[in-house]
Amino acid sequence: MSHRALRLLLALGAALVAASSFGAEEPPTLEADVAAGRLPPLAQRLPHPPLVVDIRRNDWTEGVYGGEMRMLMAKDRDVRMMVVYGYARLVGYDEQLRLVPDILDKVEDESGRVFTLYLRKGHKWSDGQPFTASDFRFYWEDVVNNKEISPFGLPQALLVRGKGPKFEVLNETTVRYSWDEPNPQFLAALAGPSPLYIYRPAHYLKKFHPKYIGLDKANAQASAAGSRSWAGLYQKKDEQYRFDNPELPTLEPWLNTTPLPSTRFVLVRNPYFHRVDRSGHQLPYIDKVIVSISEEKLIPAKAGAGDVDLQARYLRFDNYTFLKQNEKRNHYRVLLWEKVLGSQVALYPNLNVDDAEWRKLMRDLRFRRALSLGINRHEINEVVYFGLGVESSNTVRRSSPLYREEYRKAWSEYDIKAANKLLDELGLVKRDKNGLRLLPDGRPMEIVVDTSGESTEETDVLELIRDSWRQMGIALFSRPSQREVFRKRVFSGKSMMSVWSGLSNGIPTADMSPLELAPTQQEQLQWPMWGQYYENNHKGGQAPDMPEAVKLVELYDAWRMSATDEERAEIWGKMLDIQAQQVFTIGIVAHTLQPIVVNAALRNVPPEGLYSWDPGAYFGMYHTDTFWFDPKSHR
Amino acid sequence: MLRYVVNRLLLMIPTLIAISIIVFVIIQLPPGNYLESYIAELQAQGESVDPQKIAFLQSYYGLDKPPLQQYLHWAWGMLHGDFGYSFEFNLPVSKVIGDRMLLTIIVSGITILFTWAIAFPIGIYSATHQYSWGDYGLSLLGFLGIAIPNFMLALVMMYLANVWFGTSIGGLMDPQYIGKPWSWAKFRSVLEHSWIPVIVIGTHSTAGMIRRLRANLLDELQKQYVVTARAKGLPPRKVLFKYPLRMALNFFVSDIGSILPHIISGTEITAVVLSLPTAGPMLLNALKSQDMYLAGSFLMFLALMIVVGVLISDLALMALDPRIRLQGGVAR
Repeated sequence: MSHRALRLLLALGAALVAASSFGAEEPPTLEADVAAGRLPPLAQRLPHPPLVVDIRRNDWTEGVYGGEMRMLMAKDRDVRMMVVYGYARLVGYDEQLRLVPDILDKVEDESGRVFTLYLRKGHKWSDGQPFTASDFRFYWEDVVNNKEISPFGLPQALLVRGKGPKFEVLNETTVRYSWDEPNPQFLAALAGPSPLYIYRPAHYLKKFHPKYIGLDKANAQASAAGSRSWAGLYQKKDEQYRFDNPELPTLEPWLNTTPLPSTRFVLVRNPYFHRVDRSGHQLPYIDKVIVSISEEKLIPAKAGAGDVDLQARYLRFDNYTFLKQNEKRNHYRVLLWEKVLGSQVALYPNLNVDDAEWRKLMRDLRFRRALSLGINRHEINEVVYFGLGVESSNTVRRSSPLYREEYRKAWSEYDIKAANKLLDELGLVKRDKNGLRLLPDGRPMEIVVDTSGESTEETDVLELIRDSWRQMGIALFSRPSQREVFRKRVFSGKSMMSVWSGLSNGIPTADMSPLELAPTQQEQLQWPMWGQYYENNHKGGQAPDMPEAVKLVELYDAWRMSATDEERAEIWGKMLDIQAQQVFTIGIVAHTLQPIVVNAALRNVPPEGLYSWDPGAYFGMYHTDTFWFDPKSHR
Repeated sequence: MLRYVVNRLLLMIPTLIAISIIVFVIIQLPPGNYLESYIAELQAQGESVDPQKIAFLQSYYGLDKPPLQQYLHWAWGMLHGDFGYSFEFNLPVSKVIGDRMLLTIIVSGITILFTWAIAFPIGIYSATHQYSWGDYGLSLLGFLGIAIPNFMLALVMMYLANVWFGTSIGGLMDPQYIGKPWSWAKFRSVLEHSWIPVIVIGTHSTAGMIRRLRANLLDELQKQYVVTARAKGLPPRKVLFKYPLRMALNFFVSDIGSILPHIISGTEITAVVLSLPTAGPMLLNALKSQDMYLAGSFLMFLALMIVVGVLISDLALMALDPRIRLQGGVAR
């Protein structure tokens, strides 16, 4: 009761100050420390200028301080999600998916080759030490170019044709990275949910680096800590993304105070956080974030019991009705945000399958088109997704500027007749007594689809596809296994077709990398060996030998050299067109929804949003630091 | 006697070596290793993976070495009290397990005491009052206890607690004590929270013990020495406690062997459901994510507990029951 009264008072106070002036008012939890001199006053903690968070959304309002935000995660390691939700980056995406400076004051970009980064003057780490160009220098000289800490050299995003940038410190708050050729990946990598960290809290990490403390001491520290080498100990301390070292200073809105292992992580406000609201209140509004660890399968039940204030991870669409049912009783709202996958479920014909007969078929354009035409997407949408999805091939989504209607519709309309005609053209006319078509070598056409065995959703979809493919004389069997076994089978060519989700970023702009569209990674289930070939710099896997795939790689390489937006948009267009026409992957239904449980008193959570890893960082893009608890509605 | 004990102790060495090999092989059997399941897990959640970090970890953890070398490294370390390194937590295994072990022992200890405290009186009562209404009623409860799986009971209790009281049960202490050093207040908080898990975990074994005690005691009660004792006019209470009950306790002593490992793990699923910070869920997760040294050391610890427990119960039986002692002597 007194708690509520206090909140009300605070709310009143905040409103008064906000009305009176551009208020330099302390967050209440820090007042005691400031009064006792343990913490400098607000003006000295904020950088100049601070970032003024200026969100112009109708439902967005300035908030009041206070409260604890509870979340559930399945594993201790998931505490890293707070780095994702906090989303303090050098540059970050805003709600319109534009790249805007965040930690940086500004960025200057000369023809995509030379990037000058300007820091905010007086910006400080969460322990009060200055954040300056020397933190960038430490990363460049002592981390990424140190053979023992980084035995594999520079990260991909810093390389253009295998060459790294020239790094300069212009003054205490300005650094410059320059490449000989354009590097369009650089800023996007800095804005990633798991970003490229090109700076380090040098003052802290120097305590573990032999250059500063001497090799003997570094080795002694490592063996005392039970680590195999000093580099191992250094890596363990230097985990800005894992977020598991409470000693490591951070720039995020909340800092973790609990070391692993634990079942309850407490994150408290960063007193030196660089963002303020329009009236000058330092963010975040919420004092504490509590991340509790629970069993993954129980999280939906606990969310429904009102044990969380903000939860999306580990909730699935089929939990929606249950969550909705308990909404009133347990004082929360369920929102549905849009997932940005190119397709919720997609089929991946394996072009590298080791069965020669099937490989020949999979690589035949007519065969892939026939398979795609033989899927009744409308039925699947109605049965599995309550008709809420959008029937689509595996391509970009309507909210992407690169979207074109014909990509979505290409070969994705249910037409058994046309599909059968294509199969007949292929010469697959002989049938066995069950009506199954026969392969040229006399085997019946039985396609075994590997699944990772994790969701019944995939098997439900496959069940429906099986019915319609049967009308084309093709039998479908699903083979559920376990995630690692699944990957192994696909990578080695043992699996002829697999099912997984579609493009992970369905809302790209031309600035984002088209990596997923070209054979560039082993994880790409339709051509794992070609992907491995590219990933390992031609030292493994197989070189792509289909002209369209080779073309995709060329286009991807061209994108990595491109300097202007128009050029990039054109390359994207060409790649999407090839993908749509070639049907390398068979998309089914897109625009699926992610349920999100939000405490009814939690404000500024947009009722509709994109639930996206990259770009977006899930909640990160929507500024969790501006979420606040309304004292009037809190129970 | 002494020779027997020494023999048994020496036999434990090859047993443990064999177990360690089996444990290691089984952990290695599923395809892939920790890093591969880690990558797959991240991708299932839509996250990306930094290949360079993975490559670094691969060589740092020695996962690129042949399995035999990995085994020897692990086994050699254990001889020196070094249980290896948990990949998942980025910490030495001993540091990961420490606090959980203590909580596990507290919860299991209380559970065992609870089991005994309830099972003994009830078991004796139903044996001495066979086919009375009390016996029928308690037997019905006992069968229910055996028939309902622990985790099911836990789920039902969680549901009811939420619907009736609007609270969530689970956890072992008030949130403010989690991760804090041990204090009197923290211990009290653990005791306050432990009654639900104790009931849930203990129901099954309590019910089982009631049935076994009843059956054993009934066997004894019908023997002639009991009749003789009664005929001689010994007070009924003394007749019961002095002879038949003691004889009926053999099963209880031989149970000690299985109780020791049960203290450490035996309640995984229930603990997972109730989100208890005990060792069980950690073992389960370690096995799932192929965190091989954590899982391996855990399993080795359990194996050690079983071997020691069986030894203790054998010795205790010999000390308690002259029939076993003497027959053993004849065989040798």
